[in-house]
Amino acid sequence: MVTREDVENIALLSKLFVPEEELDGLTKSMQEIIDFADTINNAQVTDEGFDSISGLSNVFREDEVIESYSSEEILSNAPEQAENHFLVRNRE
Amino acid sequence: MKYELVAGFETHIELATKTKIFCGCTTEFGGEPNTHCCPVCIGLPGTLPKLNREVVRYAIRAGLAVHGKIADVAKMDRKNYCYPDLAKAYQISQLYAPLIIGGYVELSNGRKIRLHHIHIEEDAGKLIHQHGDTYVDYNRGGVPLIEIVSEPDIRSIDEAKEYVEKLQQVMRYIGISDCKMQEGSMRCDVNISVRPEGSEKFGTRTEIKNMNSITNIAKAMEYEYERQTDLIESGGKVIQETLRYDDATGTTSSMRSKEDAHDYRYFRDPDLVTINVDPQEVEEIKANLPELPADKCRRYIDELLIPEKDAQLLTKYRKISEYFDEACEGVKSAKTVSNFIIGQIFRRTETEADKEIFDVAVSPAQLNELVKLLDSGKIRNNLAKSTLEKMLDSGKGAMEFISESDMGGLDENAMTELCKQAVESNPKAVADYKGGKEKAIKSLVGFVMKNSRGKADAAAAEEKIKEIIG
Amino acid sequence: MGSISKIHELLTTKQISCTELTKSYLNEIEKSNGELNAYVNVTGEQALATAEKVDKKIAGGEEIGMLEGVPMTLKDNISTKGVETTCCSKILTGYKPIYNASVWDTLNNQNAVMLGKTNMDEFAMGSSCETSYFGGAANPFNINHVAGGSSGGGASAVGANLAAFALGSDTGGSIRQPASFCGIVGLKPTYGAVSRYGLIAYASSLDQIGPITKSVEDASLVFDAISKYDDKDSTSKGYSGNTYSTLNNDIKGMKIGIAREYLEGIRDDVKESILKAAEIYKSLGAEIVYFDLPALKFALPVYYIIACAEASSNLGRYDGIRFGYKTEHYNGTHDMICRTRSEGFGEEVKRRILLGTYVLSAGYYDAYYKKAQNLRGTIVKAFNDAFEKVDVILAPTVPMTAFEKGHAVTDPIETYLTDICTVPVNIAGLPGVSVPCGFNAKGMPIGMQLIGKSFGEAQILNAAYKYQQAANENFKDTDWGVKL
Repeated sequence: MVTREDVENIALLSKLFVPEEELDGLTKSMQEIIDFADTINNAQVTDEGFDSISGLSNVFREDEVIESYSSEEILSNAPEQAENHFLVRNRE
Repeated sequence: MKYELVAGFETHIELATKTKIFCGCTTEFGGEPNTHCCPVCIGLPGTLPKLNREVVRYAIRAGLAVHGKIADVAKMDRKNYCYPDLAKAYQISQLYAPLIIGGYVELSNGRKIRLHHIHIEEDAGKLIHQHGDTYVDYNRGGVPLIEIVSEPDIRSIDEAKEYVEKLQQVMRYIGISDCKMQEGSMRCDVNISVRPEGSEKFGTRTEIKNMNSITNIAKAMEYEYERQTDLIESGGKVIQETLRYDDATGTTSSMRSKEDAHDYRYFRDPDLVTINVDPQEVEEIKANLPELPADKCRRYIDELLIPEKDAQLLTKYRKISEYFDEACEGVKSAKTVSNFIIGQIFRRTETEADKEIFDVAVSPAQLNELVKLLDSGKIRNNLAKSTLEKMLDSGKGAMEFISESDMGGLDENAMTELCKQAVESNPKAVADYKGGKEKAIKSLVGFVMKNSRGKADAAAAEEKIKEIIG
Repeated sequence: MGSISKIHELLTTKQISCTELTKSYLNEIEKSNGELNAYVNVTGEQALATAEKVDKKIAGGEEIGMLEGVPMTLKDNISTKGVETTCCSKILTGYKPIYNASVWDTLNNQNAVMLGKTNMDEFAMGSSCETSYFGGAANPFNINHVAGGSSGGGASAVGANLAAFALGSDTGGSIRQPASFCGIVGLKPTYGAVSRYGLIAYASSLDQIGPITKSVEDASLVFDAISKYDDKDSTSKGYSGNTYSTLNNDIKGMKIGIAREYLEGIRDDVKESILKAAEIYKSLGAEIVYFDLPALKFALPVYYIIACAEASSNLGRYDGIRFGYKTEHYNGTHDMICRTRSEGFGEEVKRRILLGTYVLSAGYYDAYYKKAQNLRGTIVKAFNDAFEKVDVILAPTVPMTAFEKGHAVTDPIETYLTDICTVPVNIAGLPGVSVPCGFNAKGMPIGMQLIGKSFGEAQILNAAYKYQQAANENFKDTDWGVKL
């Protein structure tokens, strides 16, 4: 059972605002999707020891330095920046 | 009622690999902001991590050094939480299958602080808050860490301090980290609770985050112990929460805010593959581990007959113990070497930082040469001491300060002559000795030593005098 | 002859210069994109610069590669250095990657001519292309119908001859479904065959980049070019060998399986086309084997649980700090992040993030995510067992044909059901190719899917090619775009 509180909690975890007026609708829609997802709980599962879809193991990098990007490039997409830093300016 | 303190530690240690855990950027400390970064470590969309092999090796070294079991299979998980210093909004860490399981740190009181596990993960970037603005620098983002998670086995603040010191010591020995708390390459979260003495049940714990000095750990724990005890005594209840310690006020305060919902939603990172640990590689790493401080200390005490307190001083830093080991090569008494180091050289390396670097003007080989001169009776102790001081001042070898005439003691004739003079000019002492006062012989030996300007061998002189008196 | 071979011939025999060819594509885009909305970004200048390079090589008598000088397009979730890459989301508007996706590095090094970036459902979440921040792409067979999704722009562009080929990405059918809707070929490669480095992640364990083309031989050529091992992607394996040389192999005796579950609940006209294709295969000497694949029953919920869980984590990084959209007015960092995300993401993306967060959260992880992982293992095994008995599986690509615009967004569950035939392949990490196999009464294309065993691309493309030769009338061209 998905509750309003569940939706508020997962919205907070997801860093999303859900306007009060949308909360009931979203709770209902989440409930429907979860009911759908719940169909898997009718399945008889035998654990096939599934590890990962690639099935690979031990893929490593050697510990060798690769030249970093310049801070200009690193910051080139920043909505705001100052003094070579990404910046979240206080707008209060 | 008396209350017992119960504490467990989560210790983060930055690994001294050349590159970050998932990309080729340098881990070098400092540097202009955002200059040790690439698309991977600032989490640009579409980038993928690739695990640094050396991180796994370093973590295995750490695991072996604290008697942990190296897992056959380890996996990487995502720990999801959103914070501006965490570029991807998840930290790649390990929860379900960490690399090292168990282990312990043994304290001087004989208690073993058990470890739950050690896992590898990535560090976050750095935030600077100024006038309400937040500046973000990702140079540290992606630097490899191990997190050493202990069981709640610590029972006092002294044990806590020793636990941290021991971890620091052993991790420095095996060379995986410089463990500088002030620079953040070693950080501790302390879980702390209290319970009535004799009680088996754990109390509700609080977690003090991100402690960056042993002094602060002790102060924060002391404060928290008092706070929790007072709270319970006055009928209150401890709330399980995360705290920060404020150095200025010496108090802890809650970090909780409406904004942090704590549910990390761990799941296997689909971008990284399984680590199958090769047992042969573990054996190789084990074989290449240096002698660990606890083993070294035991060996100094048992085999070299060094007093326990001195043995601890000599093994506190790897550089000192290596210096000592080298200087001891082929000498008769390791204790003599130890005395020179602790008595004289330590005066030149006063701070802990100096001791850790242990950059001494006199090389271990030079000290070894000096001690061997002493061993062979060619020079006397006083001369050795003053020579060492000159060596420390100049960096030159012992032979620069010792002349031929200082060495070799007295020849047989000169010795006999001086002993005869001693007997002749001290009839009272001779009489006393003959009358049964054993000690009287010392003043006769003293005469010989004085008149040979310290070159005579005291034991030989005593023999000779006894022979003359008959 | 496929478009790529044709273009290669035109260029090498100097019947047309690469610049002229590129210009004619750019002109046609200019003419038609208003109606089709296939492209969200046209990179004409860059395309002409590459074309000029290719022309110089040809003029200098140098040999050129098969993909060299071939006008093509990339889905807008494939990172292109210096060229805006938005995933068709408001939250990435203005974002110009500072690095290239490995597939684009590969193609760019071969002087493929990128005409621009193509439309898609926002963050590849959708089956109609209509969740795109820039509006949906239209179907070249009927512009009142959707092109499908999520790689709708690429399928629309290729179907309308506005690119010789497109690269799309397929997480639950996003290459095959729009290819089916637009009457063209779409290949979803084996997981690990093509590098994901630079592909903006939706669901990391399901995503694969693949070609959308007019013909099977084009799909084969592009697949062979991009299926290289990449040391930047830990899950990369690359494809050893090539698929092109075996396209025309005899398929006599090939065992083509039809899982009965795939034929349940699909439209009659689609079912009919599939059965007709089976007949054609029989006439080519293949053996048709019917079998059961009961594990498929759970494929769709398993897909949504895993995809949304991974997405909720992959999409955490859009916080307005390092790149992309940032809200104007806020009160502190937490507020800024929440506002940026709430304003920047569309409804479907938010819905999937919330669902993913839910299934991973404390108390639900075991019931949903862990259970779904176990079932994923069951589905993988079921396919492995099936491939003990058959060489290739034949199935519909989509249970229906392209729906009319505006139809898809009404009910989320019903929309999710359109993915029912495509998601099993992603869950099991297998290759699947969609090829046109007929038309419905309204003239909208129907697609069939050939599913292979892991790294069985050569086999499915071989089977697809033989079908294409035998049923060429199903590979119908549209009136749009460049005529070679």
